[in-house]
Amino acid sequence: MKVGAPIAVGALVLTAFNGAASANAKHPATTKPTFAIAYEGPLTGGNAVLGQDMIYSVEFAISQANAGKSFGNLPFKLTFVRKDDQGLGPPAATDAQELVADKQVIGMVGPAFSASVQAAEPTLSAANLAMISPSATRVTLADHNWPNFFRVVADDGVQGPSDANYVVKKLGKHNLYVVNDATTYGSPLANAFAAQARADGAKVTTNTFPETGGCGGTASATQYTADAATIKSANPGLVFYSGYYCDLGLLIGALHKAGYKGVIFSDDGSDTSALITSTNPHSAANGVYVSCACSVLGSTTADKVFAAGFQKLAHFAPAVYSAESFDAASTLIDELKILAKHGVGNITRHHVVSGLHTITYVGLTKTIHFKSDGNISGTAIYVNKIENGKLVQLGLE
Amino acid sequence: MQCPSFLANNNLWVSLIVGGIANGFLYALIALGYTLVYGVLRLINFAHSEVFMAGGFGGLFAMRAILGTSSPAGFWAIWFMIVGIVAGAAAGGATAFVLERVAYRPLRKRNAPRLTYLISAIGASFFLFNLGGKEFGRITAFIPTPAVVQGNSFTLCGVGVESVWILTMVTALVLLIVLDTVVNRTKLGKGIRAVAQDAETASLMGVHIDRTIALTFVLGGLMGGAAGCLFGVQFGVIYTMGFVPGLKAFTAAVLGGIGNIRGAMIGGLMLGLVENIPLRWMSAEWQDVVAFGVLVALLLFRPTGLLGERLGREA
Repeated sequence: MKVGAPIAVGALVLTAFNGAASANAKHPATTKPTFAIAYEGPLTGGNAVLGQDMIYSVEFAISQANAGKSFGNLPFKLTFVRKDDQGLGPPAATDAQELVADKQVIGMVGPAFSASVQAAEPTLSAANLAMISPSATRVTLADHNWPNFFRVVADDGVQGPSDANYVVKKLGKHNLYVVNDATTYGSPLANAFAAQARADGAKVTTNTFPETGGCGGTASATQYTADAATIKSANPGLVFYSGYYCDLGLLIGALHKAGYKGVIFSDDGSDTSALITSTNPHSAANGVYVSCACSVLGSTTADKVFAAGFQKLAHFAPAVYSAESFDAASTLIDELKILAKHGVGNITRHHVVSGLHTITYVGLTKTIHFKSDGNISGTAIYVNKIENGKLVQLGLE
Repeated sequence: MQCPSFLANNNLWVSLIVGGIANGFLYALIALGYTLVYGVLRLINFAHSEVFMAGGFGGLFAMRAILGTSSPAGFWAIWFMIVGIVAGAAAGGATAFVLERVAYRPLRKRNAPRLTYLISAIGASFFLFNLGGKEFGRITAFIPTPAVVQGNSFTLCGVGVESVWILTMVTALVLLIVLDTVVNRTKLGKGIRAVAQDAETASLMGVHIDRTIALTFVLGGLMGGAAGCLFGVQFGVIYTMGFVPGLKAFTAAVLGGIGNIRGAMIGGLMLGLVENIPLRWMSAEWQDVVAFGVLVALLLFRPTGLLGERLGREA
């Protein structure tokens, strides 16, 4: 009997360390095991709007799954974990440690921003915690052989050249001024754009306007008066801004005041109606083009159900990367469902990562199937334009 | 206005110089808060950047209440803007007053070491900007303005000089003259200078130390708050708006000679120009590198700043 007690204690300890997921898996059917799906992105800070556009999609996908409305009666319950990284690297690294430590977390949607993915992935991949980013588009993120890395949007290697071709060949602009915001997202995208534009025969001038303090960076917003003067002096036919809406809004306002009359074109970091409210005066944002690997919702029943559910939760309409976030969460849930066919105990972080490499899921935005490096198959880039204070999708580039 | 021949064909030069001067006046206004408090207490009030932020929100809410979505035309409408700046200054002054009472006075009463003030200042700064984000939202908002403040006032050598730049320069000049007069020619100013020179003796001579220090904070807060409103008109109001301009203004204060009111103004103007002029030749990402490089080099030759004097010794 003296031996029995340590064995019992040891068994308890082993059970505890085995993680809540597998422990729950041994419970009777009446108490379903619980797994958590996390979302990580900017929920505060200058680019918080982009995160807010995504988080409610994940929450809605989870609530639909728990209610049995999207995947039938699942043999497990899902909970939701929110992490705010402000779109920055250092908070993302801390969030990653917390998510890895939370054994109930079986997968995550996000990080949303490329810099955050870069900072979080060493920790996440070491723990084999699957991450599906709905919006991180930096090309080199897929070069690290991180087995747990997936994204449901085309990368900047596709977006930058596609934008350049559109600008030069369709808009007919040949004197271009390419600005990047000195972020890990903006710089490579600007380079990819500039390289393709030059190859297309355009004259390209490049410049870097670092992110400003009010938008999560360290530069002073006062820089834009001088920046706008510099651009106006170069008199380009089109300014391509590679960065986020918060700073682009300030630049557009400064260009407007400086009397610049050319076209302004930006990328998915600015593809949000918040660009309009971040521009002073708001009317100066009219005529600005923004491209995105994301699509606008259509009119199918599934699209309408999602739009209504999102609106109910968020109290605003789905926006940029909302549908992609829903698709990312749904893909994750579908994988859990597939694994559960062989028993809920089969749902482990390792199996989720393995399963995602072969999954094919028909989402709202596209059929989701990942390449071996975690990139999404397919390359569709859409172009939008702000007209009369509204963001309107023009179609594919 | 006749344009000098060397500028006639170089619009960029004119834009950079005029924009730099406008930014410089903003820095100067913020720098006054640092320099006043340092002059009296030998304390760097790192929470002054949030006093600046409070001014931005003060101006925003006042102008929203007055103008809503309208934008009245006519020069008379400048009064709306003046009300907004006064509201911003009041918000800044009130925040600085509370800051002194809550974060600094208790430490002063307990003769806390200087390092404790620094930590208290940083703590207050974090508290205030997070409070601002929580209460007022985390998205940039622009201060509504009457039409007279929008667009350009006039053209200089082919470059439009923005009305808001003129407003900033005029406001800054008026406030700087008022402050200089208050400090040098009034009883309050005499008290401030006395406390700065020797607080104990000033107290024996009948100067109310606590009230004088509180009013010094308020004066600095009024300037910072007005600057917050003027900044908000141009670049928007957000809870994190204070950090970078605060840092720049602190630099301007040191450059001019910390503790020296006229030095803060000269330092601010110089920083604004040194930031902008290199952009004539180089990419914007070098702006801070060059500006701060020049400032460091300058301080090597004049370690106490351009005007190199303080209001007096610490209280």
